[in-house]
Amino acid sequence: MSATTAPAAPAARAATASPPSPPPKRKSKLYRREHLVAAAFIALPLVGFLTFAIGPFLYSIYASFTNWNMLSSPTWIGLANYRQAFGDPYFRTSLFNTFFYMIGIPIGLALSLTLALAMNRRMPGQSFFRAIYYVPVVSSLAAVSILWQWAYNGDFGLVNQALELIGVDGPNWLMNVSTVKPALIIMAIWKGLGYSMLLYLAALQSVPRSLYEAAELDGASSMKRFWHITLPMVQPVTFFLVVTNIIAGSQIFTEINIMTPTGGPEFSSASVVWYIWRQAFSNLQMGYASAMAVLLGILVFLITAFQFWLNARNAHEGVD
Amino acid sequence: MFGNFSRRSLLGGIGAAAMAAGLAACGGETSTGSSSSASGSAAGGAGVELTYMFRGGEDERKAYDQAIAAFEKQTGAKVKVIVTDADQYRTKLQAAITGNQVPDVFYLEQGSVMAFAKNGIVKNITPDIEAAGLDIDRVWKYGVDSYRFDGDQVGQGDIYGLPKDVGPFSFGYNKTMLEAAGIPLPDKDKPYTWAEFREVAKQLTKDEQWGTGLNVVWNLQAWVWSNGADWADEERRTVTVDTPEFAEALQDFADIQLVDKSTPSVEQAQTMDTYQRWMRGQIGFFPVGPWDVSTYRELDFEWDLIPWPVGKTGETATWLGSLGISVSNKTKHPELATQLAMFLSADEETQRSLYKAGVQIPNLVDMAEGEYLDDELAPANKEEFVQIARDYGRALPAAETWSPEWYDDFWIDIQQVLDGKVTAADWLAQMQPRMQQKLDQANMAAGR
Repeated sequence: MSATTAPAAPAARAATASPPSPPPKRKSKLYRREHLVAAAFIALPLVGFLTFAIGPFLYSIYASFTNWNMLSSPTWIGLANYRQAFGDPYFRTSLFNTFFYMIGIPIGLALSLTLALAMNRRMPGQSFFRAIYYVPVVSSLAAVSILWQWAYNGDFGLVNQALELIGVDGPNWLMNVSTVKPALIIMAIWKGLGYSMLLYLAALQSVPRSLYEAAELDGASSMKRFWHITLPMVQPVTFFLVVTNIIAGSQIFTEINIMTPTGGPEFSSASVVWYIWRQAFSNLQMGYASAMAVLLGILVFLITAFQFWLNARNAHEGVD
Repeated sequence: MFGNFSRRSLLGGIGAAAMAAGLAACGGETSTGSSSSASGSAAGGAGVELTYMFRGGEDERKAYDQAIAAFEKQTGAKVKVIVTDADQYRTKLQAAITGNQVPDVFYLEQGSVMAFAKNGIVKNITPDIEAAGLDIDRVWKYGVDSYRFDGDQVGQGDIYGLPKDVGPFSFGYNKTMLEAAGIPLPDKDKPYTWAEFREVAKQLTKDEQWGTGLNVVWNLQAWVWSNGADWADEERRTVTVDTPEFAEALQDFADIQLVDKSTPSVEQAQTMDTYQRWMRGQIGFFPVGPWDVSTYRELDFEWDLIPWPVGKTGETATWLGSLGISVSNKTKHPELATQLAMFLSADEETQRSLYKAGVQIPNLVDMAEGEYLDDELAPANKEEFVQIARDYGRALPAAETWSPEWYDDFWIDIQQVLDGKVTAADWLAQMQPRMQQKLDQANMAAGR
């Protein structure tokens, strides 16, 4: 949303800035016209947001209290869907799986910060490497998933062939209860690395040199400089990445659906959104699917709110 | 009439039906000399655009493009084709329904018949078929019955779709491999018993060669049914997986791997590669559906069809799939849309090009029993496909229920049994209540 409204902002600012210093009693024609233009700019994404986000959002809240099957009109059944969700072992498992995948977030962030630090040095081929790490980000997730599905093939897969070189007999990654989630996590980290790296790189480059120079004069070791300057200075980026990664991670679907189309061995790779989708479209339970979606939404909201609270508290402590 | 069946006569019949829907007059002899009435009456479609949504591979597209072009030429109607890939079809159709943009004619899965008919999404085309004077007996009974619904049960009552195909899931063997091993070839009329089958499979197994390698999801049915068990009772109200016959079948199936080791190991089998291995000539026995035939004709070994190995009942059993072609209840051109469905399901030339392409067996019984069997192309024992379609093929358990969830649930943890971590009987006893709960839910949603 914020990205789509961005173009409207300068226009709005121009509009409010345009009237000359003494504010006229009656708004000038120009003033009003520019306001209209600004409103038009804002309206476009706003209409889209209302139609494609808020509308379905409100409707799915309503649908979650009904037995809607997408074929006939919904009938109100109160809290039955929510009761069903709390008693549904598959919902719990898929929720667990989804949060399990998030183990990849801190690992991915640590790796991308390390990479960004490396890329931040002057070295030959730097822009080449930056581009290489960014390729997965701009690649289609469906294509990447198919690629990794092959790579994870137990018999002929690239991953196991590579492991064989170092004498390790690799598992049948996607078919094994204990390896399917790690396999998906590894792929997700690989896919997201370039994006986080780029943001970290930008953050690193905006850290004032003077801080490092001052620290150096005070005799701070490189470890100390990293810990007390770099890390706090890139903290806003870390915060942003953690929040957006958790929101995106809770919606993981495409790679699950392509790589393990039946939810994995013993349901061990099924994510919440995958299960919601299946209930809605294969099992004619859009009402129930909506209830689970609402529960997921609430959960993600709470987690995000908690992160903001944590962030605000930390920032406060930082000032003290 | 389907009588002397040619594309022109079919269109003559159905074209006339469009003009005078409900009048039985045209049900008579429209077979041959009706070309003038065909082109005349068929013009009823001029200026009309129908949308047709389906999924399918290239061969099917080709065959249907041809059929659609002929349909357009004869009726004057235009057909807008929407093709999706198999994975997306269901989602896309559901979105179209929710958005009130249901295509005039579309594929309907067997398992959706109850829900779609009950909710008035698909049209009852029984009167149109009768009005067109179509001899429905020329199409596989199973194929037509799959789209019948009487308000409570699928399989009887009014017709809500026509079969796009029927898919007999047969059993094949690698003739070259058996000959090389000096094993007598199986009799095409006398199925192996389980014990015999396992013995042969064991004999075939050696380095990089296995007796068989069957995916449980699609092959267990043959074992279970032939042992007199089933997933649910006939009315689809009680889940019956906890019977001794069922357990025996599942255990025997698992033991082919666990005890005999005549299949690729778990790792090798799970990577979906038994299919590849069969095609490389490393596997002795493997299922064959009509949709495989075009690929298997290219194999560099000889293969043929046989009945599935039999359990306690001594009767061979397997499933017979189908996909339907239905007409939207909201179509503005019901007669024309029904004609298109009939045309796609039963036009001779379309059926011929589909079986020649090795994509399916003909929907028309007399064609399947006649020119199809006489055709030179592999497999030699095409009769097995025909027998499954005519005599002993059964619908997959979830085809006749409101939703497939209860049946899908069965497969989620089954690997435990195949891995030998738990016995079939113990596992099934624990599955029954879980599946029963889901089936009850489905029946409740269906209001039955």
